[in-house]
Amino acid sequence: MFDLPIEGPALFSIPFGDIVDYASPYTLILFLFAALFTALAILSRPEQHADIIFGEDGVYTGRIPGPENRFQRFMAIACGLAAMGATVSGDIFNFCIFTSMVGLTCIGIVASSGNRHVLNAAFEYGIVTMIAMIPLFGGAAIVAATTGTLSIWELAGGAIAVPFVAKAFLVLGVMGEGMAPFYVAKAEITRAQGAPYILMIHVSSLLIFLRIIEIIITI
Amino acid sequence: MIQYILFALATGLLFHGIHRKLIARIQGRPGPPVWQEILHTLKFSFKQTWIPDTASEVHFVGVVLISIAIWILALGVVIYEGSVLLLFAIYLLHKIVEHGMGLSSGSPYAKFGAIRSVISAASELPLFVTILLIYYFTGSLMLSDIIQWQASNGPLIIPAFPAAVAMYLIILSKMHFGPFSIIEGKEIVSGNRTEHFGVWRAGLEAGFAIKTYVLLNAFVLIFLGSFSLPVLVLIMAVILMTLSFVCAYCPLLGPYDTVTVQSLVTGVLLAYIIILEVVL
Repeated sequence: MFDLPIEGPALFSIPFGDIVDYASPYTLILFLFAALFTALAILSRPEQHADIIFGEDGVYTGRIPGPENRFQRFMAIACGLAAMGATVSGDIFNFCIFTSMVGLTCIGIVASSGNRHVLNAAFEYGIVTMIAMIPLFGGAAIVAATTGTLSIWELAGGAIAVPFVAKAFLVLGVMGEGMAPFYVAKAEITRAQGAPYILMIHVSSLLIFLRIIEIIITI
Repeated sequence: MIQYILFALATGLLFHGIHRKLIARIQGRPGPPVWQEILHTLKFSFKQTWIPDTASEVHFVGVVLISIAIWILALGVVIYEGSVLLLFAIYLLHKIVEHGMGLSSGSPYAKFGAIRSVISAASELPLFVTILLIYYFTGSLMLSDIIQWQASNGPLIIPAFPAAVAMYLIILSKMHFGPFSIIEGKEIVSGNRTEHFGVWRAGLEAGFAIKTYVLLNAFVLIFLGSFSLPVLVLIMAVILMTLSFVCAYCPLLGPYDTVTVQSLVTGVLLAYIIILEVVL
């Protein structure tokens, strides 16, 4: 167990060899938040999308068709599960995998949208996400190459020095998954219908950003 | 804990009232009485409440409850001197509440507010480097350790002045009628709050009041140190007044201008960290 003056003591841990998945008050709250919004995505019905008719005094509302709704819900739940995995993972490589899954599922959430602007934005977001995976996994590779381990538990507290460039790459990779200043396309894809599912796009990226801050300060 | 929550709620609402009053006086208007926000919240608590037909019901109500819950949790972190990292995580999770409020109703105005809340997430960048700078000086992110560090080394605001400016900017970005309040700009009616009325609005006002109290309290604890409650509230009120002056004189920025300002502040902070680490 570690008790770093960053996030408080570890509440419990599950060792898998040198990889130790753990929960601190900080990671536990992030996990619970991801679980809460995943539950909301399961329980909520989507809103009726209202649009203004420009030049006329009126609005029109639309419902999401059944198959599209089911697919969006499935991808939102997958995104929530990936975010939960990223918040409690004790291994940098696993964190990177979960982060990549968040990027992919975010595209999936809006993939069935019929809106051309949303689909264009999703395409651009997908390109940025794929490019961002290079520094993300590159950072993990540098950590493994220089320290011999990817276990956050082993690296915690500066016991083994992690190169600054590896931390910078990890942050850059996560930012590419939808944080400022690479998130312009992401803001556009939230125009799609299905509030409980679209919200998961924002939830997941904030959670992985919060987790990477904790990781780079911890190691 | 209950008395702390009630105190934070009442003080936060009073601060919102003072904020409105000051802005009005600076702009040459009489403005509402300072207790107006308390009356507003009470009034909304007993008004007719409904959920729009177009809304995602569970989601529409859920974000209100989550808003109150996360800021009570943040208050607990401040009172029990927990991790600053957790406090800032809650600040970022508040973005989800803003986003969810806007998306859940189905209103196009609220949705514009929600999209703007994604854009305004640029405030996470100065927040990130603020945390790094606090950790750089104190070697800890636990509030109790930071307060102890200040007891022996003096206020953190002196060595970490750029971080204090960045956190001030972060609090400013959460103030009503401020230059960064793009999510509730009047050109999109009330932005993401457009459809939340009655009890839901009262709940949101309560959550936001606790948020204002927590952020100001955290600023004082992190950068100035620990004080007795009356002095603490007085210092918080003075900081609030400076924020009100900024809000009264600065026009609402465009969405992308807010990103530019926050990114520039982040750049300056990063440069400061590099100078500290490499040059000094």
